[in-house]
Amino acid sequence: MRQVQSIVHRLRTLFRKQVFEQELSDEMRFHLERQVEENIASGMSPQEARRAATREFGGVEQVKEECRDTRRANLLETLYQDLRYGGRMLRKSPGFTTVAVLTLALGIGANIAIFSLVNALLLHPYDFRELDSLVRIWENRGIDEGVDARWIAPADAYDLYSKTRVFENFTTYREKSFNLARDGGVEPVFGCAVSSSFFDVLGVSPALGRGFLETEQQPGDDHVVVLSHGLWQQRFGGDSAILGKSIKLNGLEYTVIGVTPPKFSYPVPSLLWVPLALDPAQTMNRADLSLMALGRLKHDVSVAKADAALAAFSRQLETEYPKTNAGRTATALQLRKEQYLYTLPLFLLLQAAAGFVLLLACANLANLMFARMIGRQKEIAMRSALGAGPRRLTQLFVSETLLLAVLAGTAAITVSFWSVRLLRTSISQDWTKWVPGWDGIQVDRTVLSFTILLAIVVGLLFGLATVLSTNGLNLSKTLKEAGPGSMTRAKGRLRSTLVVTQVVFALVLLVCAGLTIQGFVRLSEVYAGLQPTDVLKVEIALPEKSYATNTRITNFYQQFLHSAVAIPGVKETALISNPPASNVDSGTTFFTIENRPAPKTNETPSATLEIATPGYFPALHIPLLAGRLFSEADTASVEQVVLISRSLAARDWPGEDPLGKRFKLGKPDSNEPWLKIIGIIADVRQNWWNPPALPTIYRPFLQAPQRGMAFLLRSGSNPAGYVSAVREAIRQLDPDVSPRGINTLEGEVTDSIGIIRIMGILMGVFGLVALMLCSVGVYGVLSESVAQRTREIGIRLALGANPPDLMKMVLGQALRLTIIGLAIALPMAFAAGRLMGAVVFGIVRLDFIVLAGVAILLILVALIAGFFPARRALKIDPVMALRYE
Amino acid sequence: MTKPTDLVQGTLDLLILKTIALEPMHGWAIAQRIRHVSKNVLQVNQGALYPALHRLEQQAWIQSKWGESENNRRAKYYSLTRAGRKYLQAEESNWERLSSAIGLVLKTV
Repeated sequence: MRQVQSIVHRLRTLFRKQVFEQELSDEMRFHLERQVEENIASGMSPQEARRAATREFGGVEQVKEECRDTRRANLLETLYQDLRYGGRMLRKSPGFTTVAVLTLALGIGANIAIFSLVNALLLHPYDFRELDSLVRIWENRGIDEGVDARWIAPADAYDLYSKTRVFENFTTYREKSFNLARDGGVEPVFGCAVSSSFFDVLGVSPALGRGFLETEQQPGDDHVVVLSHGLWQQRFGGDSAILGKSIKLNGLEYTVIGVTPPKFSYPVPSLLWVPLALDPAQTMNRADLSLMALGRLKHDVSVAKADAALAAFSRQLETEYPKTNAGRTATALQLRKEQYLYTLPLFLLLQAAAGFVLLLACANLANLMFARMIGRQKEIAMRSALGAGPRRLTQLFVSETLLLAVLAGTAAITVSFWSVRLLRTSISQDWTKWVPGWDGIQVDRTVLSFTILLAIVVGLLFGLATVLSTNGLNLSKTLKEAGPGSMTRAKGRLRSTLVVTQVVFALVLLVCAGLTIQGFVRLSEVYAGLQPTDVLKVEIALPEKSYATNTRITNFYQQFLHSAVAIPGVKETALISNPPASNVDSGTTFFTIENRPAPKTNETPSATLEIATPGYFPALHIPLLAGRLFSEADTASVEQVVLISRSLAARDWPGEDPLGKRFKLGKPDSNEPWLKIIGIIADVRQNWWNPPALPTIYRPFLQAPQRGMAFLLRSGSNPAGYVSAVREAIRQLDPDVSPRGINTLEGEVTDSIGIIRIMGILMGVFGLVALMLCSVGVYGVLSESVAQRTREIGIRLALGANPPDLMKMVLGQALRLTIIGLAIALPMAFAAGRLMGAVVFGIVRLDFIVLAGVAILLILVALIAGFFPARRALKIDPVMALRYE
Repeated sequence: MTKPTDLVQGTLDLLILKTIALEPMHGWAIAQRIRHVSKNVLQVNQGALYPALHRLEQQAWIQSKWGESENNRRAKYYSLTRAGRKYLQAEESNWERLSSAIGLVLKTV
């Protein structure tokens, strides 16, 4: 009952505020008047009586405020009141509010955009059922061969699944490119041949039709296809009767049996799937690592446990099949983690840059708030005098800054919706199709809660900081002080400190941002040594059936090169096993050097292995450093020769001349022939994630032919114009051979660093934002400090100072403060740069040009920030300036 | 004049409740009554009195009503609620226990 009464009472005061206020005043007045009467009755004169009563009562307003305080036990009312007050204050100074909200919105917006990106690409790259229990499985041969070399032998895959009991389900697949017949022509399409369990393992059911049946894995029964939603929409107009229709792939009829849900693509950028049909011999194959595999772990099996079980089982296979399985270890890695491998540091860097921008925004805002606080000291003093306790003041300022942060958060969310859409759509599909999860980038619930949290934290932080900065305020002194134009020593020093602090913040953060941007720029120039212009790349894979022997393979390619070089305009032709910027890691091999003591097993040297024709090096302008190149005479029947890269020579023949030395592929007990080193070749960057110099062995094509090679053609100009001639040359030799992966090498390079470019663009945007924020910050604080001296300038003018001297004085002071700031900040920026270099090794490097550039820029901003307000002050009539407030 | 802190908050509440237990009173009269009854020893400051009154009303120990004062003005009269009366009884016996306990300690030591 009492509680109910109490609540009713509180609500009454909340909703009938005016009545309450009136009653409070009446009550106080009654008390005073009653006391006056009493005093008169006891013999005082009326004036004396009133004075005595007032004196005895004390501060009426303070008592009232305390009474109000007792009613405010419920926060709601105060909050409402404070928010209204905060809103009024913000409206009263639109300039401050706009700058503050925009600054914060930029900071928060940048974080939302990047967090959306990280959230989509790193945390939710695939929309598969229980992504965390999906693992990639491959057989490791003791050397790290990179993501693209994660293969498994078909027979081993079967045994691993059926005998280790760690998998709930398991699928094998192999990427495959197709020529899709359309309107008389063909169109190359990325696809994948998958085992029938593929869609079940991923937990994706086709949006239309069905997945593959086990019977469809039989060679001959495998002419069925599942289309991606995108391909179905774009190439078949979303035809709802597509199921059962027949399409032509690589010249063969395939029946469409299903369409995937939208946005599904695995392995990226597959657009269609066919059954993986292996004949019995292929199924039993244990020697060739030819498939990729994906497993879904049982619920109670951790990745570590699965990995251990796979390793143990590999030992069992090793003893059972020493010939094929020696040294092989099956390994499991979470599919999600595989995505991180190369891009995680880049994403971290990007998120760090967004963090910098937010920090900058906060630093700016802090300075702005602080400057504003100086102007508001009188107001605070007045409030304290009227009885506002520290708690009440804290609440007031926190509500005000919270309001600011919420406004900024709202603006940031609006902007981020827009910018995320822009980000997703403005970047070419050719770049983004390789990035799993790209289509999923959006401002979702996680992102929104992240933003709201961020806004609240920032708001609270600033509210509290504001209150702290007003602690220890001397009431009477502050109230007695003249207007803001007056220049006390302490205030002047405070203002100088503000300017210096702002410069320090700006320099340190800008240098960090600059270094990161520069790191990305450098990354996007990784292929700078390569000369990809005017080169066409065509991949050729000879079918195994008709090209079973080395003679057949070399015959085909030699005839092809012969006819290609005869095409008018062609300058060089070459074959290479894996061209640079292919975004595929080259194969790695162990080798054993002749006449050297056998190294311990785990120290056997290894290197990347490439197979090339003599024309490869001149075609890409890769310089020969010593010895000779291959020649047409290096055939299978003469001594086997190799070229090695400079890094390999330096690593394994330090201080020696490697020319004429011999080594063989494999471990010391291998039966490979000895290979003689005939020359040293400059290092070429393979892929952006590889180190610039990868120790590489080149074998001549004639001595080590293989069916799949990349054909390179250097022309005088317009390499893309030779596509039809090359196709024709191939068709004339063998119509069953279809070229694929046709692209100019320049295009390859661009495509291969797509994700880096995307990030580079983002970093550039951040850099600009950071630069803007810094300039605005330094400008704001400096110009504010000059503007506050308008009165002083007026006095000086009135006393006869000449304007140019005054301008010089003002600018000199601005410059001096900036230089003090720079002097403090440079060592800090230097240290920060070093620290960043240590954290993201290889991308960020301390650079003096960045350091100096940022410093000069800040000095320029400082001069401009001093100039305009000073000019304005000088133009004002001295009388006006004196009255200026 | 005593500062609010000199009168322990609970004690002031008790004094107010006891004072208005007999009849509804306005703030000024409460202060006067306490002073007279305590023979000028306890002087209640307005800065403490009114917040205390508002707090007690907030907690529904007392209620207020506007009425006519002895000098024919509108004044706010405070009176005990039923819960306030019970609360006063409990607090009175508490106080007696406490003060006799303090008395005992002071006498013996």
